[in-house]
Amino acid sequence: MSVILQAEKLCRYYRRGSETVKALQELDLTLHKGQIISIVGRSGSGKTTLLNQVGCLDTPTSGRLIIAGTDVTALKEKELEHFRRNHIGFIFQLFYLIPTINVLENVELPLVFARRHNRQKVLEVLELVGLAGKEKLLPKQLSGGDMQRVAIARALINNPKILLADEPTGRLEKEEKAPIMDLFQQLTKEGLAIIIATHDLAQARYGERILELKDGRIIAEHSPETIVRLRG
Amino acid sequence: MGVWFGLAIKNLLRRPTRSILTILGVTIAIAVLYSLLQFQVNYEKGLKKELGALGAHVMVVPKGCPYEAATIVLHGGKWPRYMDEAVLEKVKSVPGIAQTAGIIMDAILDFEKNENRIFMGIDEDYPKIRGNWHVQGSWFTGAKDEIILGENVAKLEGLKVGDTYYLKEKDCSFKVIGILAATHSQDDGFYFLHRKTLQKVFDLPEKLVVILVKLADIEQADKVVAKIRTMDGNLNVFPLSELLSTVGNLVQSTNIFVLAIVFIAIAISAVGVLNTILMAVYERTKEIGMMKAVGASRSDIFKLIWLETLVVCTTGGLFGVGLALAFAKVIESFVRSALPYASRSEALIGLSLSDSLACVLFSVVLGLIAGWYPACHAASVKPMEAIRTE
Repeated sequence: MSVILQAEKLCRYYRRGSETVKALQELDLTLHKGQIISIVGRSGSGKTTLLNQVGCLDTPTSGRLIIAGTDVTALKEKELEHFRRNHIGFIFQLFYLIPTINVLENVELPLVFARRHNRQKVLEVLELVGLAGKEKLLPKQLSGGDMQRVAIARALINNPKILLADEPTGRLEKEEKAPIMDLFQQLTKEGLAIIIATHDLAQARYGERILELKDGRIIAEHSPETIVRLRG
Repeated sequence: MGVWFGLAIKNLLRRPTRSILTILGVTIAIAVLYSLLQFQVNYEKGLKKELGALGAHVMVVPKGCPYEAATIVLHGGKWPRYMDEAVLEKVKSVPGIAQTAGIIMDAILDFEKNENRIFMGIDEDYPKIRGNWHVQGSWFTGAKDEIILGENVAKLEGLKVGDTYYLKEKDCSFKVIGILAATHSQDDGFYFLHRKTLQKVFDLPEKLVVILVKLADIEQADKVVAKIRTMDGNLNVFPLSELLSTVGNLVQSTNIFVLAIVFIAIAISAVGVLNTILMAVYERTKEIGMMKAVGASRSDIFKLIWLETLVVCTTGGLFGVGLALAFAKVIESFVRSALPYASRSEALIGLSLSDSLACVLFSVVLGLIAGWYPACHAASVKPMEAIRTE
């Protein structure tokens, strides 16, 4: 499998008063096409900071980040905007669907920003995530699981190479979690690479690799089998 | 653009009460602005029209406030300042005068019924000055019991030529010898007696209230006015163009003051718009972060928020013009009761495409200004805010 993301000695420091917070410290990471990596760790361990970095939402203090062959640390803000639009998909714990527009319009939003209107594509993606027939519903008419499916469809609409999911099942009912994780696994078959940040070890086991973060460093790598034992 | 517009409207509908109240603020401010713009134009137009219809170039009145005298001449009423009829002959003798008309006027006021009957004493010179006078029936023959009624008065009293009009307050009966065809001026609401008759009935022997003067050559107005002034020191002599300009200046000064207040109201409404949109931006910080994360550029977010402000202000502008037109009669009656010289033949607030357009354009500019800061603030939201705030 070819490498889609390569992070080398990635650091992100920031100031909090007189103190320097080391949110990420010399982190190395390789992600292949079609692979799921789960990032686990306590609050403040650096999971979100890592997602910000690989999602091109923030620039590192030092280190290199290569995504799809491009060194994104060398890109300017405008170029990053364009790069992010075409290579990265985001899924958030709180979904962030726009409440006043329907499912179809929510999914279409990234295409509006990209000036690429393609209604057929929207319908295809909705079918892929299992929302065919619910296009005209408003977010408030959906279950939590379906809302996250809308968010996934929105993330997929621009054909990203990498999907970043921050606590994707954090707000879902127990029975809604597994179908979402199954959907992630299904998407990897198309070559999509996924990074999932979670503190839920049951969900983390869907990752091919499970990286444990503490104080901005990877302190351990677990396999799905070992993580099941850790839970037990 | 349609998608953006739809999104902006739907965003505003999230908090309908707040959006409606903000639009209402702009609506009221623009309604006042439109009314004022219309008033400025139509007030002067009406005044010019009425003075033009008067047919005279110069007014001669007894000493006193000339503007009050002008009101009496234009709108009728009771003004206890008189000059001797002999002055009329002196004025007639001044070279350069084409026509004169001496007028005596009185009014009978009934405060209980809120009635104001205005009696004007004229002679055959008056229609020569007015020009547009057509009497149905006949002119005064010299009898002392003849009356000509303005068109509105005839309708109000239910009288026609040949009927008798009884003036209870003076215990006098008059034969209606003529009804004035509609002039669309104040004359339509007057009771006309021969000057000599009115002087007798109202006990004002050989008295006049005003002398209207029509010049042979308007360019000679200054000379004629100067001549009449030197002739009798107890007279106020003023050309109507001067009156028009003085009243115009007076109204202009008032308008500047009122306009300043209107602009304060508009500034307050602009701050209201800014506050509403800024609150909406603060509430949607995470959502804006999400939009940027899924591909929105800074200019996309700026455009969206700016569009929301424009929708609020433009809607307020359109409703404001509508509100001003809807309440035009109410505003007019208030203005008329408070201001002298307000013409009754000309609507003070009417539909004007140019003023409507100016007000709507102004509200658009207001939106562009008020929306600038919230739009800049929203555009500067960092996309990682969407994740960080969880």
